[in-house]
Amino acid sequence: MTELFINDEEVTVPAGTSILEACRANDVEVPYFCYHPELSVAANCRMCLVEIEGWPKPAASCCTPVAEGMKVVTQTEGLEKDRAMMMEYLLINHPLDCPVCDQGGACKLQDYAVDHGMGKGRYVEEKRIPSDKDLGPFVNTCMTRCIHCTRCVRFADEIAGTGDMGVLNRGDHMLIEGVVEDALASELSGNLPDICPVGALLDKPSHDVSRPWEMTRHKSTCTQCPQGCDIEIESRNDEVMRIRPAKDGVEPWICDRGRFVYDAFRSDNRLLSPKVREGSALIDVSWDDAITRAVSLLKGKRVGIVFSPDWSVEGLTAIRLLHDVAFEDAQVAFELHRRDTRPFAFEEGLSMSAKAIEKADQVVVLGSDLRQRLPILMQRLRKRANANKPITRIGAMFYRTNADLAVDVLIRPRDWHAVIATAMVQLNELGKLAAGMDAWIEKVDARHDAGKRLADALIADSCAMLVGEEIRSHEDAATLIHGIDLLMRAAGHAEVGKDGRNLLPEGMNAQLLSGVFGDIRTSAGDLFDAAANGELDTLLLVGSDPVGDGLFSRQAKAALEKVDLVQVAAISGDMGNYASVQLPAAAYSEIDGTFINMEGRVRVADNPLSTLGEQRPMWKVMMRLVQAMGFDVPAVNLEEVRGKVVELAPACTELADVWSGEKDARTIFVPSARNKGASYLPELAEKTKALDLVGRYSIYREGAWVRASELLVEAGNIHAMDDVIVHPDTLKELGLSEGKLTVVSNSGEFSFDVGLRTDVSPGVVFVAKRGVAGDLSTETSVDLKGGQS
Amino acid sequence: MIKRTLKTWLLWELVMGLALTGRYLFKKKITVQYPEERTWLSPRFRGLHALRRYENGEERCIACKLCEVTCPALAITIESEERDDGSRRTTRYDIDMTKCIFCGFCTEACPVDAIVETQEFEYASETREALYYTKDMLLDVGKRYEPQIASNIAADARYQ
Repeated sequence: MTELFINDEEVTVPAGTSILEACRANDVEVPYFCYHPELSVAANCRMCLVEIEGWPKPAASCCTPVAEGMKVVTQTEGLEKDRAMMMEYLLINHPLDCPVCDQGGACKLQDYAVDHGMGKGRYVEEKRIPSDKDLGPFVNTCMTRCIHCTRCVRFADEIAGTGDMGVLNRGDHMLIEGVVEDALASELSGNLPDICPVGALLDKPSHDVSRPWEMTRHKSTCTQCPQGCDIEIESRNDEVMRIRPAKDGVEPWICDRGRFVYDAFRSDNRLLSPKVREGSALIDVSWDDAITRAVSLLKGKRVGIVFSPDWSVEGLTAIRLLHDVAFEDAQVAFELHRRDTRPFAFEEGLSMSAKAIEKADQVVVLGSDLRQRLPILMQRLRKRANANKPITRIGAMFYRTNADLAVDVLIRPRDWHAVIATAMVQLNELGKLAAGMDAWIEKVDARHDAGKRLADALIADSCAMLVGEEIRSHEDAATLIHGIDLLMRAAGHAEVGKDGRNLLPEGMNAQLLSGVFGDIRTSAGDLFDAAANGELDTLLLVGSDPVGDGLFSRQAKAALEKVDLVQVAAISGDMGNYASVQLPAAAYSEIDGTFINMEGRVRVADNPLSTLGEQRPMWKVMMRLVQAMGFDVPAVNLEEVRGKVVELAPACTELADVWSGEKDARTIFVPSARNKGASYLPELAEKTKALDLVGRYSIYREGAWVRASELLVEAGNIHAMDDVIVHPDTLKELGLSEGKLTVVSNSGEFSFDVGLRTDVSPGVVFVAKRGVAGDLSTETSVDLKGGQS
Repeated sequence: MIKRTLKTWLLWELVMGLALTGRYLFKKKITVQYPEERTWLSPRFRGLHALRRYENGEERCIACKLCEVTCPALAITIESEERDDGSRRTTRYDIDMTKCIFCGFCTEACPVDAIVETQEFEYASETREALYYTKDMLLDVGKRYEPQIASNIAADARYQ
């Protein structure tokens, strides 16, 4: 710690802190443009000058570290003169168009011009006019306003890692240039307008629509991926205008998916009133009529329940209450991505915080496209890679990451057993053992070199194992996860306090779901098959879109054509085509509710937007159904529902203290479930098809909310790849050439334009989850043949 | 004491009062026979609002919403959008005259002299609805009163 004096006040800050940071930490105002806490120091705006006793000239505080006994002064006549001159320089080429600039009212340049500027400009010569850039669908540019702080350049370089912006020339000729025109190829591009201190980079979708002072801010939790970022929803007259990262949030950035999904809030897809089907059309009716119709379809019928995990903790618990009271025998499924419903040795959820993962000695990523699925976690890993800490990755594709990975190995999904067995053998040789490992090894004959890389990584003192979707949705997932569990135990990464076993979940609230629904979950595929075979009468679909998402679109389509559909949702989506009754549920921005993210972090939203339509919180919809079916209502208010949460999910007991106000939500973590008895030995069967199939996940396409957002769909089109992708060697081996090829699967033959990429593992067919290709996602292995089917 | 008694008994106050009345009786009258006759109005008179256009027909308003935020009676409602040519324009500009207190802050806030108050004050109506002025109505007022508005702004310019 270093002690110094700022304006004659003694302050203590950690050694190595810059003077600016010391001032910020002690609420002393120093103006600055180019400094940003998450970016490297550029020291090019010269606004943060301070005087230091004994120094001949003012110093830039952002790049001057504190020293013991240093005497810093931030307000003197000389400094004010310097700042006024700096402002005059910055304003030379800045247009006087604050009234038409979206940044107006929230602009640093504007504020500092008032606080430190001269009031009148002396510059009468012509201003220069740099041309605007095309930075994709999310970022609007007006480069005449740019003051060259280079925050955007550093962001593109250091945070997004795309490096697609740069600086040309110097002095008066200085220009910010997009290296790649057309699109900013980053899933974090929406953060650029946030970091721009002036109005040069602005939010394109909300451009020219609203002003900062019109906004009401509502703190909430994003449910678009398991990361559950802290967000601030900005609304004007209850209409969602923008979503931004919360200022005191855990992560400084949010991804484009979580940000621009707000377009879905106001889309036609939003379900705002109850509807029932009359002939081919859905018509608006009252809640009473809709509930009567729903009850006629549900009561006394054989019902299957499918729901999505991104409702609030209270809403999800209410679904269980409805099940227990009204449909005790009904099948329930919520995992559209899990083929193997046996309990996993470690269930979905992380055992460490993202920060701890960043700091661990080793990080192993097994089969996950982190940049698409969890861009903010990937951002943490990128920071780690920049600090030269190793990341080991094994998977079916060299998914683009923007980070330098120490070890990156391609394997086919059918090789996972061999990889794990090889790693076990390696650990055995080093004397690291776990009970049950020998039996596991014995069952697998094959070996794979990737296992050696895995074992190398496991030897580290602390290791964060991130098990991704390729394993989670594997047919034999429980066995593989048991194998990984054994590896982690043997390497000593499973003890309390050092637990590095993380299974990346598909959606929010994974810890709650394995507690509340652990005993009754069924495979979504089985449920849809049962419906298609006439074993069910009605499907109660709560917020899910099994045709558009997940592994079971083909089965879901067959099922939906057969049975009646009662849909409870915030977004109607494609499921609206099948629904007989639609009941509108409040979105995550419109409820008092609790959310648990993949780390087990708890957030309680208590400042919801008022609802625009007739939608109701999920727990109310569920309880209304219970009541209308003539049963006793198990919970009549939010407090009672919360009581049931604690009753049903022992892991969530601490939530009671949060709700009662005894504990701060930020101090507790909900642990993910561990199943001690979940040990399975591999039973390998020879695959009949030659190639493995892996489904591709796109941040801009997956999820009903995302597909309802025109902005994200547009971005998805820009970033689209071929429907089916294979490695050139795969085709060579089969004696085929590029072009229209036929994929032969158990569910039929489909022909596609097959694209070639060398970053896919040979022996793997990589398919998009959309259109006809989506039907293939059910399969795990296929064959390829030439020509059209 | 004697002076006061004299003034009391000679009805002096009454005489003074009648003298004043008498003076006005023969003075030039200031009463105006409204509506046949009208008084002079200051160029700063704050009457009915108008939205102005430039000479080339382009509307002045750039949807900066400063008038909306400065309005103490919350009488102004604005919605804006980027027009096809990339300029920022209003899609809605309403003033609720039943709320307006004619303080003139909107005119003062306007950076482009788009919203102004004319000298028109005869716009009473039989319904409240008719006092809800939309963008088209305000632009129409501006069209009708432009010569008056321009001359008033010119007359007041040196004091701005």
